[in-house]
Amino acid sequence: MTVSSIVEGLRERIPKSIMMNQTVGIILPDKYYRDIKQVIFEFLNSKSDSFAVYVTITRPYHTILNEFGDLIANNKNIRYVDCVSRIAGISKMDPNCIFIESPTMLEKLGLEINNLFREADEKSSKYLIIDSLSTLMVYNDPEIVTKFFYYLINVTRAKDIHSVYLVIEEEEADKQIKKLINLTDKIEKIVDSFI
Amino acid sequence: MSNAELKNNGLCNTGIETLDEILGGGIPVGSTVLVTGSSGSGKTTLCMQFLINGAKKGERGVFFTITEPLFKLTKNMESFDFYDKKLIESGLVNLIDLRIISERLGLDTEKYTVEDASALLDILKDIADELNVKRLVIDSITALCYRLQTPEMIRDFIFKLGSSLAAMKCTTFLTSEVPPQKFKYSKNDIEEFISDGIIFLGDEEREGDLMRTFQVVKMRGAAHSRIKYMMYLSTKNGVELTPLLSSTSKIKSKE
Repeated sequence: MTVSSIVEGLRERIPKSIMMNQTVGIILPDKYYRDIKQVIFEFLNSKSDSFAVYVTITRPYHTILNEFGDLIANNKNIRYVDCVSRIAGISKMDPNCIFIESPTMLEKLGLEINNLFREADEKSSKYLIIDSLSTLMVYNDPEIVTKFFYYLINVTRAKDIHSVYLVIEEEEADKQIKKLINLTDKIEKIVDSFI
Repeated sequence: MSNAELKNNGLCNTGIETLDEILGGGIPVGSTVLVTGSSGSGKTTLCMQFLINGAKKGERGVFFTITEPLFKLTKNMESFDFYDKKLIESGLVNLIDLRIISERLGLDTEKYTVEDASALLDILKDIADELNVKRLVIDSITALCYRLQTPEMIRDFIFKLGSSLAAMKCTTFLTSEVPPQKFKYSKNDIEEFISDGIIFLGDEEREGDLMRTFQVVKMRGAAHSRIKYMMYLSTKNGVELTPLLSSTSKIKSKE
């Protein structure tokens, strides 16, 4: 199976899952991590009436910007929350991104997500991307991540926000992640024979 | 009751959305509320935002400071978007240094006699009355009570102040300084019993992060929640509250 056919498969399947389900969990091996992000950004770009919040716990915002610059630079409907730059000692600022001092500040993260969605037009379709749930588990006690996950699920359901939770297989060290991801409406498990 | 009060069912909206939800709409008008916390817990910011939010609705307020000089207080508040200098200039929010008043009254700066306390109380009541104040802050009641020589004087002072301001339908915040990480509401263990409400600003450490917490311990006449919240101070929104996911005290008890 070629890489390009995997990506084509993702392009077909992932947006459908996101649109048809309130909450989607995507379990993927690290080698398809970039492809999934590309597909998600392409999807968000295709929806002109959408408003999205992309929470990054894996890569600094500026790394994502450098990686996908052409794809995301002009889309002002995607707002970012970066939980890793500050803890990595990166002090760059950006008006399109909120920087949180540490991925352990889950209440702060929840507050900023809520504040950002308040800026969205009521009529727009709203999306929340958590990249990734497994990385969050690396930094936090599993019990707290569970509570935070339940909080996000409830808030996004109440506000009609489609939420997507990435789980990177290589980080899936905890049984707790498997339990949490089963609470989503749809699980997409990306394997080599995806199509 | 005024039309505004009737509209709000006799409640004084703080203007801080989550706090008004916690309080079931707001603070009963005329209440005296103890805002208690250690150094850096956010007492002054919370009180100032309460006053400014009231002023934006046309409710005149006065902030009496004892702990911080006025120029420092205003400089620190200017970093917050909610702080509007025009409200100060227009007189809707009045900032008064109580130490200057004490000096002008010829009061002893260290210890007040019964007569001194009475004179100070009268001047506070007169200022509130003359300005038709609806929101009042004393920052801090601890520093003021330090000058009152006996527990009876403290109790008498706060009771009379609270009663007079309640009669003027003025909702009052008194800041109370307590040591960090101690579950205590005041230095003298008296203020909390006279007050109609207690808001406790605490600290919680998790993974090296010293988080501010917020809890309404008591509010007479209000159907309030006692759940502990996380409190953040942002330059954009001022006081922000969000439910606490986990308490470290719970984790310690498991150990």
